[in-house]
Amino acid sequence: MSRQSFARSGVQALTLLLVAAVLAAAGWALRPDPLPLVADPVAYELELSAPLVETGTALQLFDEGNHFFIDTRPSAGPGVETISGSFVIREKEFADDLLRLMDVLYPEDPVILFGDGNLMGVSNVAARLQERGFTSVQIMRSGLDGWQKAGGALGEAYIPEMPGAPLEES
Amino acid sequence: MKNLAPIVVMTCRLVLGGVFIYASWDKLMDPAGFAQNIHHYRMVPYALLHPFALFLPMLEMVVGVALILGVHLRGAALLTLLLNVMFIVAISTALVRGLDISCGCFNTDGGHAVGLSLLVRDFLLLLACLPPLLFQRVGPTLSRSQKY
Repeated sequence: MSRQSFARSGVQALTLLLVAAVLAAAGWALRPDPLPLVADPVAYELELSAPLVETGTALQLFDEGNHFFIDTRPSAGPGVETISGSFVIREKEFADDLLRLMDVLYPEDPVILFGDGNLMGVSNVAARLQERGFTSVQIMRSGLDGWQKAGGALGEAYIPEMPGAPLEES
Repeated sequence: MKNLAPIVVMTCRLVLGGVFIYASWDKLMDPAGFAQNIHHYRMVPYALLHPFALFLPMLEMVVGVALILGVHLRGAALLTLLLNVMFIVAISTALVRGLDISCGCFNTDGGHAVGLSLLVRDFLLLLACLPPLLFQRVGPTLSRSQKY
């Protein structure tokens, strides 16, 4: 590539960057719920504040029986295989799922959240539980796959009835 | 061999363009979710987090469209190459730091966990940037200055 054509590529790239910037600004301005231009560090830090536990430790805590296990996978629900006796609190149905557990799960209870091994959704649920006063929230690092590989028992979730807001089967 | 060049360039353009347009869509629809994805890499300061989450998907869309239509082809290929280098650096540093996060590549709701397979994919995409960048004068294009 000659120097001249390299310079031309640079000019073209700058033009495309400018076009993208203008379109991004326009898209932001036209959105009904625009993202604030300045991020709130508190909200983001809270999301990453829950400590991670390894599967081996989680298995140990499960056997001790003092911790509640919570399935945060979007697919969790009735008839879906999970850690036996775990509760279900999904990111998108957070309020309904938590309401369903209000008589059995209290903020002072130690909870261990797990997902499908990806920390995105499970971190979000952890942050929201912490916001609601849960003091001992941990995340099982490797999710249900890691649990299974480590020989953890599987069964059904415990899903209490809640008239008026049934938990949909996925 | 010379006859193959337009096919190779056009294939790379279509693949790269398609991948980048597809990758941009979910992020454009859910900038807040994408901002979370970016934050999980712990590389972007808070002051730049939201502007970056708004700008990057639009840039992916623009370069994707430019690659497919052949508008400012060289510039688009150069930007795609730089974006891929940035993705490779981000994924590599996440791997080195032992971060267990989703890549945020194609959707903001979970998706692929960061791993070696992602690095391989991004290296392949990086290689696909080279033909349109080096042989821009082959293959159909809408740009008047790049007729072949």
